[in-house]
Amino acid sequence: MPVRRLTRCAVLTALALALSVAEGLFPLTILFPLPGLRLGLANLVTVYALYALSGREALLILLARCLLGALVGGNLTALAFSLTGGLLALGTMALLRRIPALSLLGVSVGGAAAHNTGQILAAMAVLGNQAPLLYLPPLLLCSIVTGGVTGAVSILLLRQVPHSFISERKS
Amino acid sequence: MATPAKSSGAEGLRPTLGDLILAALVAAAAVTLLFALRPAGNSGALTARISVNGETVAQYDLTALDEPIRVSLDELPYPAVVELSPEGAQIVESRCPGEDCLRTGAIHTAGEQIICLPNKLIVSLEGASNAPASDIDVVAG
Repeated sequence: MPVRRLTRCAVLTALALALSVAEGLFPLTILFPLPGLRLGLANLVTVYALYALSGREALLILLARCLLGALVGGNLTALAFSLTGGLLALGTMALLRRIPALSLLGVSVGGAAAHNTGQILAAMAVLGNQAPLLYLPPLLLCSIVTGGVTGAVSILLLRQVPHSFISERKS
Repeated sequence: MATPAKSSGAEGLRPTLGDLILAALVAAAAVTLLFALRPAGNSGALTARISVNGETVAQYDLTALDEPIRVSLDELPYPAVVELSPEGAQIVESRCPGEDCLRTGAIHTAGEQIICLPNKLIVSLEGASNAPASDIDVVAG
């Protein structure tokens, strides 16, 4: 892996980690007591990497963020949830991105919905019970809002941060 | 001021009608799921079921309670205390790391539930909220 790419991934991974820690300081669940509800700020980095870099790099950053997040937080059960949710979200976004009728906003909403679905699936697997499914409908409704917000911020980000700042120089 | 880079190519950066349709689809999925999961046949007294690891460990007829009782679940990985009252149930103490179960607050109607994932604990309400009390007071498994 070229040094430039490695550095880029490392910086974005650090940013994603910092964002998820920052988000943890102000949990949305205080406002809406709905388990699993979060703004998904770290998803900003995933979306940015997916659009400005490549799906491969977005995947690497996601994996590193989940693993390091679990290590830093000391919560290994959380790893299963963030990985299932994150991978499902990234996969969905990579697919949705190929649909020309969708902008980043729609892609991000789809990603948020997929993330919540993944988390609920992981919770069902851990509990061995379909009880967590009850939380999915309200979570899906919230994901339209949270996905919309992170999508809008990503659009701003991609417009304001020149690609040349982060992507490879083309000669 | 901010000059978009040439290479940014406004690819997918402008909201489209497709986005709206996708959001509507997600909302439709949520509503469909909501209806599909509606608790069926609310009959009998309001009952709190406590399950751990997928198995029911205790069931309490809430309508038979005169005053709130506290059930300590000390054998869980993270000990928790559930408060049961004629009005509903609430986890009032838990040493789990996430504390989502505490933030969930009190539940009052059949079909509602509190989940503590680290403990694999589910407290759920069943039956109708204002039905006459049944003969069974407590069924402990």
